[in-house]
Amino acid sequence: MTALPKNPLPKNPLLEQFLSEARELLEGIGQKLMQLEDAPSDQGLINELFRMVHTLKGNSGLFTFPEMTRVLHACEDLLGKVRNGEMAFSRELADRLLDAMDFVGLLSSDIEQTESIDASRVEDSARLAESLRALMAEVSTSSASSEKRPVATETIAVSLKQIPPLAEIPEALRMEAFRRSGEGEKFHWIAYQPVPECFFQGDDPFHRARQTPGLLWGSVLPAEPLPPLAELDTYRCSVKFHLLTAAFHEELIEHFRYVPDQVEMLVIDPLWLTLSERKSEDTSNSPNGISGSVEESSREAIEKAAALTRILTAQQQTLALDDHPAWFSGRLEAVATVLKNLANSVGNTESASQIEAAFAKALASASGLPMLEWLNAHQSQFTAKPVSHSDASIDQNSAVEEVAASTTVQAADDGVKFGRRAEDNQNGPRSLKVDQAKVDRLMNLIGELIVEKNALPYLAQRAESQYGVRELSREIKGQYSVINRIADEMQDAIMQVRMMAVSIVFQRFPRLVRDTSRKLGKEVQLVLEGEQTEADKNIIEALADPLIHIVRNSLDHGLETPEVRRACGKPETGTLSIRASQQADSVVIEIIDDGKGIDPAVVKRKAYEKGLIDEAALERMSDREAVNLIFAAGLSTAAVVSDLSGRGVGMDVVRTAVEKLNGSVGVESEVGKGTSIRIALPLSMAVTQLMIIESDGQLFGVPMDHVIETVRIPRASIHRIKQSMTAVLRGRVVPLKALNSLIGITAQPKANMDDELSVLLVQAGGCVLGLLVDGFYETLGVIQKPMAGFLSNLSVWSGSALMGDGSVLMILNIREIV
Amino acid sequence: MPIEFKKNRVIFRDVARVEEAEALLEALQKKPTAKVDLAACTHLHTANLQVLMVARPGIGSWPQDTELRTWLENALKPA
Repeated sequence: MTALPKNPLPKNPLLEQFLSEARELLEGIGQKLMQLEDAPSDQGLINELFRMVHTLKGNSGLFTFPEMTRVLHACEDLLGKVRNGEMAFSRELADRLLDAMDFVGLLSSDIEQTESIDASRVEDSARLAESLRALMAEVSTSSASSEKRPVATETIAVSLKQIPPLAEIPEALRMEAFRRSGEGEKFHWIAYQPVPECFFQGDDPFHRARQTPGLLWGSVLPAEPLPPLAELDTYRCSVKFHLLTAAFHEELIEHFRYVPDQVEMLVIDPLWLTLSERKSEDTSNSPNGISGSVEESSREAIEKAAALTRILTAQQQTLALDDHPAWFSGRLEAVATVLKNLANSVGNTESASQIEAAFAKALASASGLPMLEWLNAHQSQFTAKPVSHSDASIDQNSAVEEVAASTTVQAADDGVKFGRRAEDNQNGPRSLKVDQAKVDRLMNLIGELIVEKNALPYLAQRAESQYGVRELSREIKGQYSVINRIADEMQDAIMQVRMMAVSIVFQRFPRLVRDTSRKLGKEVQLVLEGEQTEADKNIIEALADPLIHIVRNSLDHGLETPEVRRACGKPETGTLSIRASQQADSVVIEIIDDGKGIDPAVVKRKAYEKGLIDEAALERMSDREAVNLIFAAGLSTAAVVSDLSGRGVGMDVVRTAVEKLNGSVGVESEVGKGTSIRIALPLSMAVTQLMIIESDGQLFGVPMDHVIETVRIPRASIHRIKQSMTAVLRGRVVPLKALNSLIGITAQPKANMDDELSVLLVQAGGCVLGLLVDGFYETLGVIQKPMAGFLSNLSVWSGSALMGDGSVLMILNIREIV
Repeated sequence: MPIEFKKNRVIFRDVARVEEAEALLEALQKKPTAKVDLAACTHLHTANLQVLMVARPGIGSWPQDTELRTWLENALKPA
């Protein structure tokens, strides 16, 4: 691999995911294979391995990577045999599979760089798949034969051994091709035999054959004796194709890349083109005494020799004709050209000038005799010597090999290697998949760093007050500010690692909306906005379920059927928008539909019927509040319970899920116009803003999300109604509770010198409460640690945090307290 | 429909698809004397070609597309 600059193109996210999964699977497969070597009979391992290969194959099938799918398919079949006990797992098998996986890995990096697989891989892939299948066949046919079968050392290009039936090609075309090959053009013969099931794969072999690049001639033939009309299966392909093309080998490989196993390709030796009748001729009759060497000669050599003889005889006959037609000189020229080409093809280059001379003489004398004489005298140069035969056949083979070698990796004797070894310069993946625990650890460490950093100002203070070294104090403060900046940036960077785009969740909506609206007979257009908005991974993941509930609700209850919409004068197609955006420290997601909206009167009545609100509340409640009742548990406005929604749990689930994430959810709706649901969530849960309060000499943290305000209320303004205390604040009655009594401290809240009590106004679950505390301190960003062990059962505390001076701060769980 | 079945004629137009092979086969079975008119045909799926190769119906007119015509003449010439 060269150090080509990598393509920074934005990639198809699906492809990216495939690649990252493929890498993971390949790694897993490699591991399993190696484990299997130690425990070859472990059925569990084999099953797992099979499943992994199967998954990878399935994934690759989603894209157009036939090369990859083909190899994986072969591996899968092989492993299937092993799984069924038809084949034993051997080290050799493991080697092969590992090689195959290396190849797949190679293809993955190809894809990663160019998003496609290079055409040159087609042959490798076919070869590899074939060799894997051969391994299977080896076992199933004769496991007894100790002779190791040479596995697919030939490429597609040389697998066609006999001379193709070129006689099918019309003479004129054949001669044309022969003439052109004299000019250095190369022709390929292709036998394309589609598999019988190919129609089911959406294949049209005739179309593919017609589209062959450089096609000169083609014919379609029955692949098997055609059945009578009544028995013909129209869905079974029973034809094959013979093609003659002038295209380059690479082009053809590319053209047939999906079906390399169905295609045999051969570079045509120009001589074959001159063969008019094939094989029926009895070669042993050949007059040139070559029969002595015939026995060892391969069939093609015989064919070739016979062809040569025939050509030479034909030329002799032509020259011997003593009529003098108008085209006599043309005829002579043709003979001269044939002879020269023949001489070239057997590597006899010096004959050319002699032929030229004879031709000139013949022209001058207007008789074929000079050339005939030359031919009779030099015929041996073409045919007589057995040496020249082998020369010729070597020449022919080398032509084929040349093509093969130019496009394929050199095939080794014992199979195909794709040499991806540890020392190779591998292209590392561009994105890392890191265990979340590792990121969490980093997060914890940076948390500790921030805490430790906060200890420096204390130290500076002590240096000054306790030891009286002012200079040192100042220097410590200077250092502190630097460390502070770095630590903040570091924290920010780690947060970024945990950030994910909401598109991960949004992705599934097009399908959901499509399916649901189909089911309901509604026309819905889905609009997604702000998919790039990022938030912490945990938050994004927790978002999925509530969003699905809301979208389903909107589709089911919100949007009307096309008929109703038309009657209301709205466009038939309803619009459902899902928008994500970042607002300050939170990510906001809005789900907006232009449906019938929520009727507050109906919601209020329902809530009253269900006993969720009392009569007074019914009267007092504003429309806006009423609409938000849909989030209350057990409320459903739908008349019928459908399988989609209407059970009255949906919106409650949404509210609970969102609140768990320290977020908020609200709804706005206008009857007839539509509904908009707004979810706001913190960008990250990692850092919690706390307000520090004091009670009975201890410090506690209260999450800022819950804090409304801090006030001081004179003891005289606090009223007691039976056991509970209340106060009127800004014209509103607020219940008051002492924090001490809530957390089991017996001391009374302390008042300040003016006999005022400190009240922390908090809100949780929709109600407002005043907490009586002893004092307020600063707010602080901390990394909250959940309570561990059996402490986690204490629901009063949501967690703890370390303070800069090393003390532990307990964080109150306001929701529980209230 | 790219293949139209008339009383005694089967007319191909544009591209005959794989789904039509079944109907073609049936039509040719029922009426072996039907003539096939390929003049307006630009391509036919292998499945259709196969049916024609087996049924060997009379050809009313060959495709105007000369390349396709060569192919078909080759494949459908009387054996």
